[in-house]
Parts: sequence; C-alpha cells; structure tokens
Amino acid sequence: MSILKDLFHYDGNGWWRIPKTSEAQANPVYEHPFGKFIGVFKGFLSYITSGKGHATPTYYWVIAMILGIITLIEVWWFGVEGLRYLLVPSMLFFSIVKFILVVAFFMHLRFDHKLYSTVFVTCMVIGVIMFSLFLLLSAFHGLGN
Amino acid sequence: MSSIINPKQFQIPRIFPRPMSHSGIWYWLGTVDHKKIGTMYGIVSFFWFIMGGIEALLIRVQLSHAEADIISPELYNQLFTMHGTTMVFLVVMPLSAAFFNWLVPLQIGARDVAFPRLNALSLWVFIFGSILMNISWLTGEAPNGGWFGYPPNSTVQFNPGNGMTFWVLGLNVLGVASIAAGLNFIVTIINMRAPGMTMMRMPVFTWMTLITSILIVLALPVLAVAGIQMTGDRVYGTNFFNSEAGGDPIFWQHIFWLFGHPEVYILILPAMGMVSEILPTFARKPLFGYTFIIFSGALIGFMGWFVWSHHMFTVGLGPAANTAFTLSTMLIAIPTGVKIFNWIATLWGGSIKLTTSMLFSIGFIAMFTIGGLSGVTHAISPSDAQQQDTYYVVAHFHYVLFGGAIFAIFGGLYFWWPKFTGYFLNEKLGILNFILMMIGFNLQFAPMHWLGLDGMPRRIYTYAENMGWELSNLAATIGGFLIAISVLIFLINVVISRINKKLASGDPWDARTLEWSISSPPPHYNFVKIPQVEHIDDWWYKKYPGLLEGSPKQNKSPNATVEDTSNVDESKIHLPDLSYYPLFVGIGLSLAALGVIYTYALVTIGLILVFWGCIGWSTEPVNEPHKKHH
Amino acid sequence: MSNQGVTVHHGEEINNSTGVSNKKLLMWVFLGSDVMFFGTFIGTFMAYRNKSLNGPYPADTLDIPITSISTFVLLMSSLGIVLALHYLKESKMGLAKFWLFLVIIMGMIFIGFQVYEFSHFAHIGMTPQANLFGSTFFTLTSLHGAHVSIGILWLIFLLYNEYKGNLTSENAVDLEMAGLYWHFVDIVWIVIFALLYLITAGDGVPPGGLPWTAGH
Repeated sequence: MSILKDLFHYDGNGWWRIPKTSEAQANPVYEHPFGKFIGVFKGFLSYITSGKGHATPTYYWVIAMILGIITLIEVWWFGVEGLRYLLVPSMLFFSIVKFILVVAFFMHLRFDHKLYSTVFVTCMVIGVIMFSLFLLLSAFHGLGN
Repeated sequence: MSSIINPKQFQIPRIFPRPMSHSGIWYWLGTVDHKKIGTMYGIVSFFWFIMGGIEALLIRVQLSHAEADIISPELYNQLFTMHGTTMVFLVVMPLSAAFFNWLVPLQIGARDVAFPRLNALSLWVFIFGSILMNISWLTGEAPNGGWFGYPPNSTVQFNPGNGMTFWVLGLNVLGVASIAAGLNFIVTIINMRAPGMTMMRMPVFTWMTLITSILIVLALPVLAVAGIQMTGDRVYGTNFFNSEAGGDPIFWQHIFWLFGHPEVYILILPAMGMVSEILPTFARKPLFGYTFIIFSGALIGFMGWFVWSHHMFTVGLGPAANTAFTLSTMLIAIPTGVKIFNWIATLWGGSIKLTTSMLFSIGFIAMFTIGGLSGVTHAISPSDAQQQDTYYVVAHFHYVLFGGAIFAIFGGLYFWWPKFTGYFLNEKLGILNFILMMIGFNLQFAPMHWLGLDGMPRRIYTYAENMGWELSNLAATIGGFLIAISVLIFLINVVISRINKKLASGDPWDARTLEWSISSPPPHYNFVKIPQVEHIDDWWYKKYPGLLEGSPKQNKSPNATVEDTSNVDESKIHLPDLSYYPLFVGIGLSLAALGVIYTYALVTIGLILVFWGCIGWSTEPVNEPHKKHH
Repeated sequence: MSNQGVTVHHGEEINNSTGVSNKKLLMWVFLGSDVMFFGTFIGTFMAYRNKSLNGPYPADTLDIPITSISTFVLLMSSLGIVLALHYLKESKMGLAKFWLFLVIIMGMIFIGFQVYEFSHFAHIGMTPQANLFGSTFFTLTSLHGAHVSIGILWLIFLLYNEYKGNLTSENAVDLEMAGLYWHFVDIVWIVIFALLYLITAGDGVPPGGLPWTAGH
C-alpha cells in the first residue's frame, strides 16, 4: 500500500515526477523503490535547471542530445531485421517519447501556466481518440455482416 | 507582432493611408469594432437567408404538384445543394457569429475581443468566401452534389465541370473564417472577463459561445482536410475517393460527418444560449439549473464527437458499428433533455410576459423538442434504415435547425435589437411575424414526417401522380410561402421601426446580464467603467440587492441605473485604430481559391495580397501614434 | 502581459482573468486545432496503408537514411529556436540573431531535402496520381512542407525585425509564438517520420498479392 502511495503520490512526491524547478531539492526526503539513482538524477536535473525556475542553455542542449540519441536508436532499430516484428510498437514508443520531450521542455509546457497544458492535451486527446475510432471503424468495416 | 517598439523604423509602405475617420465606406471596410463587425455579419447573413429562402421556395414550387416541370432536374439539384449549403454555412453560422460578436464582449465586461483585426478578418473572409461560392451561379454551374457532396457522385468522373470544385473551395475558405473567429472567442472568453467574473458567473450565452468556439476550432480543420482531399481528387487527380485506384468513397462520409456532427451542435448551441437568456428575463425568474445547463452544453459538445456514423447507418458499416453509434446517439439525448426540462422549469411559476422574443423562445422549446424526438427515432439504426434518405429526415433537421436555431435567432433579434440600435422593433408586427412563421413552418415541415414514412425519397425533383403525396406537398409549399411572408413582415418591421424609432433605454426589458447596464446603442468603448462582478446575473443583483437577502419581491425602483455616458473623458480610453489589412487578406484568400479553378495567375495575385496583408498587419501598430484623441 | 488589441495607458483597467498572455493562448489553441488537421490526414494515410492497387510501393520508394538526416536537421532546428528565444529574453541580441538565422537555414535545408525527395519520387514514377500511397503521402508531406515554409517566412520576417530593433526582450512573446508554431511543425514531423517512413517502409505488395485481386 505504501509503495502504491509512493508511486502515485499526488502532493508532488511521486518518484516519477520531475520536480518543479522552484521546489527542486538536491536531496529528496522520501524513500522510493529505485533507491539513490533517482535522487542523483533529479539532483542533476535541478542543477541544470539552476533551480530558479528558468532553464539554462545547457538544459536545452541536454534535451536536444536525448532527442538525437532517440532518433539514432529509432533508425538503428529500423535497420535491424531481427527486431522488425516489434517495429510498430517501438516506433510508436520512441515517437511518443520525443513528442513529450519537445512539448514539455522545448515548448515549455512543463513550466508554464496549466491552462496551456489543459488546452493542448484536451485537443490531443480528442484528436487521438477520434482518429483511433476512425481507424478502428475502417479496419472492421462490415463487422457482423 | 503588433507591439512594435519603433513603428517609424519599419512599416511596410502603405499604398493607401490608414483609415482614420469614423464614418463613410472606409470606416465600415476598416473597422475592428466588434459591434460593427457583428452588424455586418448580421446584414450579410440575413441577405443569404433570403437567397437560401428563395432557393427553398423554388424547390417547393417544383414539388407542389406531381410531375411538375417548372424546374429542370439539373437546376433542382443545384437548388437543393445551394439551399442546404447556404443555410448551414452562410446563414446559421454567421448569424450566430453576429451575436457572438455583439454580445460576448458586452456580457463579460470587456471593451473588445482579444484580437480585433483577426475578428475583422473572419468577417471579410466570410463575406468573400460566400461570394466565391455563389459566383458559381453566374457560370451556370452551381454545385449540385448535395450539401454533403458524397463521392463518387461528386468526383470529377461523374460530376465534371466546376460546380463541386466551387463548393469545396468555398467551404475551405469559409472554414478559415470560422476557425479564426473560434480562436478569437476562446481567448476572449478565457482571458478577458471583467474582474470578479469567474467562469461560473458568466452568462449562459457566453458559455455556449465558448463551447461552440471549441467545437469550431476542432471540427472545421477536419472539414478542411476533406475539402483538400476532394480538391486534390477533382483538380489534381489524386485518388482519395477514386475507387478505381482502391480509394474508398466511404472515407469521405466518415471525414465529412466527423466534421458534420459537431457542426450541427455548433449550429444549435448558440441558439440554446440565446434562449437561456431570454426565458429568465420574461419569466422574471432566474434560469433554473444554471450549472446543469452549462454542464449539459459541455457534455453535448463532447459527446457530439462520438456519434458521427449515425449519418451512415445504411452504408454497410455492419451491425457492430451501427449498434455502437445507436447507443452513443441515444445517450446524447440525455443532456439535451436536461436542458429542455431546465427551461420549462424556468418558466414554471414565473410571471410570464409574452413579448415576441419570448414567443419565439417558447416556440423554440416546442419545435426543438419535436425535432429532437424525431432525431431519437433516427438514432435507432433499424428504424433509421427505413427513414434514411426520406423526407422524414428533412422534417427532423428542419425542426431542429429552423424550429430550433432560426426561431431562437429571431427571438434573439427581437430581444437584443433595442440594444444594438437604440429603438424597439414593433411588437404587433413582431407577433404577426411569429404567428405566421409558426403556422407556416409547421404547415411546411409537419407533413414531411408522414411523407417520409410513406417512402417519399429526398432529393428527387418530382414524383409520380399516384403516390398520394400531392396534398401534403401542396400544403408544404403553402407553408413555405407563409414563411416567406413572415420574413417579409420582419423586414417591413425593421424598416418601419427605423422610421418610427421608438427609443429604448439601456435596459428596456429589465434584464439580468451586463450588456443591459450600458446605454443603447452602446458607446464605442462599451463600458465607462469596467464592472466589478460579484454574482451570476450581476446586473440584476446590482439593481435589486434585496433579492440577495432573500426578500421575495424586488424593490420598486432599481438601485443601479444604466451607465451615464455624458461626462466621459475619452482620452483615457484607447481602442484599436482601423485597419484595412484584414479586408485585403480576405479578398486575397478568395481570389487564390478562385484561381485554383481558373488560372494560377489568380492564385499568385491572391497569395501576394494575403502575404502583403499579413506583413502589413504585423508591422502596423495597434494605434497610430498621434497627438489628438478621437 | 498587456492585452494585445487594446492599448493600455495610465492606469486604465486591464481585463486579464488568468494571467496568461493572449497571444500565447491563441497560438496554443491554434496548435490544438492543427492537431485535428494533421490527425485527419494521418488517419487517412493509416487507413489507406497497404490498399494501393498498383504502382510504386513504399518499400520501393522510401529512403530512410536520407529522411533520417532531414529529421535530425528539423529536430536540431527546434533546439535552435529555443536557444534563440532564450537569448532574446536575456537581450543577448548577437546570439539571438545567430541562432534564429541558423534555424532558418536548417528549415531551408529540410525543405531542400523534401524537394529532392519529391523530385526523386517523380522520377521513379511515384506521383500523387499514381496510387493511394502516392496521394496520401504527397498531400500529407506537402501540407507539412507548406507549414514549414510559412514558418520559415515568418522567422525571416522576425529576424528582419530583430535587425531593425523591433524585436527585443520586451516583445519576445512574438518570437515565442513563432517558436511554438515551429516546435509544433517539428513534432508533427516526428509523428510523420515514425508513421509514414519507419512503420510503412516495409510495405510492399503483401505476399500472395492484394486480397481482392485475381487469384484469391
């Protein structure tokens, strides 16, 4: 039960949450399943965001490098014949990760007023749902006939 | 882009000087004032209402007798296509936009919308887009594929000529206008409310505008894509709906109705908002269930996305899909019903004053309910299999769109006319207008229910003598002419009222929302002082604060009066100056679309105009730096 | 942030109910609507996958290595515009102009790659008219390219204004708006690259021919 609480804590202490820059701490107080690694990583994140609420150019270069590495992995994965059977889920996964990175950090949604996130995420959700329904319908055209 | 620091350093050279006067043609062409833009929307869309009505009358004349040959089949196809397209895109949507433009800034206590020049752009793109679509009449080849343009009938193989290309390009251009307006109103409503006006203190009409604008910005891009795909097919030979290359015409239906169903909620939600303002005023009671009405409106807007294939029940989607859409469509009747019950509860026990706008609003409730009930019968896919493509469907959507949206719009016109113009519309003529329209409307569309169930198909230019449909069709035609007379009476009312000018005060109906706290017509800056809002229906409680303490009766004379505009120091109030760049971008966009049909030279000229307009717009400061203030 | 559209002077009241900038909110709502626009095209593409009756198939035409390079260029241009905005907000005008200029160049390189790709495809007989893959692929990528081109024109205009001294840290929201648009165009390309290129690149005629052609 407390592990669940740790994972899905809503007051900002969930281990998967990147800390808001203004509340960044070097040493998180809570215990969590992943031990010190997350603490160090989060410390690094708050260091490169300078902890004052504004990202530094370093921060953006780091994100860009991560994006570049993911693209390279994508293309490499595509090239390996043995991994082809996992092509669709892996490509979707990588593109979603890149998408989230650009939207959250480059477009600054992570640090901006929640209204922008609400607007964009709502539109994305409606769009994804609608076109998934459309694809489902087209794929199963005539089901039951 | 408009917050240029140093306008003298870079402005695109002006070919025409910036309009600065406050009268004359250049004022109207360059205005960015939401009230003037609303007026222009209203006038132009009413003109198209009359055009669409004439198209309808011609249809009715042709159908009044069996085997009539007054109108040829080809012309008949063009008439019903243009009637539908005109009424949906050139009448109901822009008339709603006229009300959005006039009322939203006034109801939220703002001086204008968030982006006044973008507002003007919506207007001009609408006007020139509507002209673009109707130019096709002059070429002799108006669009003839129905207002929904299904392929393969609308592909260039079966429908050569430019008619449907005009249709699809016109729709794309009009879509730009709607999306721009939708964006503008979303930002305005979210961001420019008066201090103290939280979202749950906004008038219902403003809420419905917000939900409609969200639907517009999400649904119109889907139509734009369908339009681009069909333009590609017709002009460039792509294969989206070309079955010979493996394309599936059903995809057009999917994409069109993915747009089309939210579209019908775009058409009806503003009307529901208007009715929600009129009923409490003339029942002298607050709106029953404000929260429920708003939440239902939002729910209708959201659920409306998941019902689109109920327009495609007979296309062969299969029982699984049909069942799913039957269920979702029936579910959407629930929030609609909640709203209807709330309106009835608003009337219940109120001290009803049957002015013309109240009559139209009550008529709306009745007619929309009838239309909604026939809609529920459509929702059930087996019964829809009988009703699809018959006159029963025609009856349904006219009851909800005419008996619903248009009735509410007429109610809104009679209600807000004093605010817009400063004088009343004649009540007696108004009541005559209502009675004739009610009788004519029901005479025209009620018979279509049984005509449809008896099997009369849609979109046929004539029918055989022995079908037994003649009497009903003749009745419908007479009803149509009665409607025409009632609209004529409305126009006569407008002229006579203008001549008689029975002046109205700022608050002639003793109403509830902020727009009634300023003079009629409002000054160009709207509010002398931006109000501090403390309640829903804030103006009402400012007038009758006793009601807040639970006293059952209002005090005899209101505590607050309409704003006095006599001693205003206008030098402290700055509104944006006029600009003609939105006009140029609007003309350019339509020219470019026309050029896709005729010649690339036109496309180039159009795009140059758009480009020049956009750059000029960006470098032009919101206000010209000048010493004297207007 | 002042109300764009109504100039504010000397203590006149501002209506700003949420504290966000009107312009940024406008751009985000617009991007939300653009999601529906691209979503419809992507949906059509995915629905028409493997349904072309003839003609050049994706396996014969798509060139992943080249497209990877152009994807990388566009991705780095996103970084560039973020840096340009950052330096503009800190009034480091030289760096801001440099990075904005780089973004424009990278955008043009991307368009260059697209043009090369399209002309190469035309050479091998893949045109919008050829088959379903051609129609859906070309319209989607052309519209994306049109978005990129409009973005490039916008950025050139902003760079020009920077040189003229009109774009400074005070009205940096204008560059921020353009930046959001540019990032959006980039993330649409991320999705297009994954769906249109990587996932589809193996699509040729399935073994045994198409299900509805003769022989089945």
